[in-house]
Amino acid sequence: MSQLSPPETGYESRVRTRVIQLFRWCGVWAGTCALMAFGPKFLWNKGLVFTLLAIGLNVCVGVRTIVANKRYLEELDDLQRKVHLNSLAITVGVAMIVGVPYSIMASYRLIPFHADVAHLVVLMALTYGASNLYGAWRYR
Amino acid sequence: MKNRLKVLRAERDWTQAQLADALNVSRQTINAIETGKFDPSLPLAFRAARLFGLRIEEIFHDQEP
Repeated sequence: MSQLSPPETGYESRVRTRVIQLFRWCGVWAGTCALMAFGPKFLWNKGLVFTLLAIGLNVCVGVRTIVANKRYLEELDDLQRKVHLNSLAITVGVAMIVGVPYSIMASYRLIPFHADVAHLVVLMALTYGASNLYGAWRYR
Repeated sequence: MKNRLKVLRAERDWTQAQLADALNVSRQTINAIETGKFDPSLPLAFRAARLFGLRIEEIFHDQEP
């Protein structure tokens, strides 16, 4: 074989499509989170039915976001999957190692501020991002 | 694991991007394989063998301990 015929859709463009889909679903999910958090107070005066509908919508969009993330990971090649697997392993480990003592410290009032699950989510997001950057740098 | 991917690619005057496109992977993956930072999966090794018209062991070989 002397000539390479590129496939109809290149790897990079397919991954880019999946990333865009994932970002869109993440955006919609963030929107439904905001609706769920602020809607009862500012939009429907704490009406129970609307609050339950907002929670249901958030869960449905959340499930769709998980599916979008799964499809994105399935589209990746061996190396990118390995980078993500390493990032996931580090993220879960950090969440466990930091989360449990954080919870215990909060229950004994050893931290000067209100302990919130959002802190853990932010930590996980930062860990995942940093791990991915490290993986990309390591195999550059 | 050692491999002859870079040599085989150079013989055909292909860029990493072209080889990546033909093997349906990222250019970063080709670079990582060529530099020995990453060992490909069996399906990817088979795809490479099919593309170059060689057997897997003619491209990839285990390093002596």
